[in-house]
Amino acid sequence: MSGNALAVQGLTKRYKDFVLDNVSFVVPRGAIVGLVGENGAGKSTTLHAILGLIHRDGGSVELLGREDTAVDEAFRNQIGVVFDGSSYPETLTPRKLNRVFQSLYQGWDEAGYFALLEQLSLPADKKIKAFSKGMKMKLSLAVAFSHGAKLLVLDEATSGLDPVVRDDILDLCLGFVQEEDRAILVSSHITSDLEKVADYIVFLHKGRVVFCKPKDELRYHYGILRCGAAQFEAIDKGEVLAWRRQDYQWEVLVADRAAAQRKYPKAVVDPATIDEIMLLYVKGERP
Amino acid sequence: MKGLLLKDFYLCCSVLYLMVPVVAILGVALSLLVSTWVLVVLSTVMFGMIAVSTINMDRVSGWQKVSAVLPLSRARVVDSKYTLYLLLSGAGFLLGLVVGGAVSGIQGAFDWATMGIYLAIGVDMALMAGSFTIPLSFLLGEEKNVLAVILAYPIAAAAFVGIVVPLGGTALACALAAAVGAVCYLLSWMLARKGLAAREVTG
Repeated sequence: MSGNALAVQGLTKRYKDFVLDNVSFVVPRGAIVGLVGENGAGKSTTLHAILGLIHRDGGSVELLGREDTAVDEAFRNQIGVVFDGSSYPETLTPRKLNRVFQSLYQGWDEAGYFALLEQLSLPADKKIKAFSKGMKMKLSLAVAFSHGAKLLVLDEATSGLDPVVRDDILDLCLGFVQEEDRAILVSSHITSDLEKVADYIVFLHKGRVVFCKPKDELRYHYGILRCGAAQFEAIDKGEVLAWRRQDYQWEVLVADRAAAQRKYPKAVVDPATIDEIMLLYVKGERP
Repeated sequence: MKGLLLKDFYLCCSVLYLMVPVVAILGVALSLLVSTWVLVVLSTVMFGMIAVSTINMDRVSGWQKVSAVLPLSRARVVDSKYTLYLLLSGAGFLLGLVVGGAVSGIQGAFDWATMGIYLAIGVDMALMAGSFTIPLSFLLGEEKNVLAVILAYPIAAAAFVGIVVPLGGTALACALAAAVGAVCYLLSWMLARKGLAAREVTG
């Protein structure tokens, strides 16, 4: 069994006004990988290309150890997908959806589905159109968790939801990867959510992977050095990943916070959040 | 595919409950104005339109993307819509036949020849129109799709007239027109399986 639930290599997709350029990353089994980036960075295009919704112009995708060109219908039972927003006809109820999916998925777990509905306080006989956005997203997750999926792909699953519902959803995701042969790829621009659950962060910017790193490396090693103009000039630019000027202060992103603090003891070096790292890469300058 | 048909059945259910009394009322009204058998044409076409409308409902609800990641080939999704169209048109056809037959029987005006002509018109109109409206509903957005549906029925009617009138309006000509409708439907189905299944799913 391959160690990766998903391996994307050189994925390329060209549109008139946008290019997803040579995107590569892996989602190891037992891990949650967060795909982050600003709106229009190429997150959804990447997911859609992985799922085969759009044709790719180059690269390869390996799903659960199998080339995606060799993925047959039965194999798709093992891939769960949750799209942004409601994806089910609104006149249906969760109970009717159960009957529908029973006929569509080979390993549909009816008991598990209804247990999840109860756990998530979702009424089985209420029409979906009466559900809030959070309830609809929970329903999508309940479906994705009920057909024996080994790989979950979540496209902006937490966007537009309140913190309580987002936390519920993140808990579900954490529970899902407790079994180590499972994995989740989740795209989001709410980086605080990914800081809670992701093991790896893939940062996309303008259709390219800027970095693909373990989250802990970003949290515990990366730092933002804050200094004045004179000190900024003295910094070895070889150690700098990105920088930007904020009023009278310079913010400098460094990959080794501790080393930067030792080398520039007069400067303030703070831990960097994923948000700050993203902002510096997107809005700052790079050597 | 059973699951897809079940989902569409749930979608259509609320409309179908309304359609049955509508067809019954139309049957009585038409019997007073023209031939009761016109009802066969109307109900076949109306029920078929419900099937076509589910394609747009799928797009609006986001189900189109869900169906693309189900453990089914895209061709099966196309198959389900063509099958649903046949099932619903067939149900409309039968309902029209039963109500039309009952009303004309009560009136004592049962006429095999007239019935045959209208049955052929119903089959031709439904299948010919369906062979356009189903693929176009997949391909076009909501607004253009409405235009396609509006245009499909006059085109189907013109095709029927174009076949039947030159052949003298005989029963055989009517049957031939219905057969042409069936061939168009099958061709559309086969082409849609290949063409639509290879399309990108966006939106």
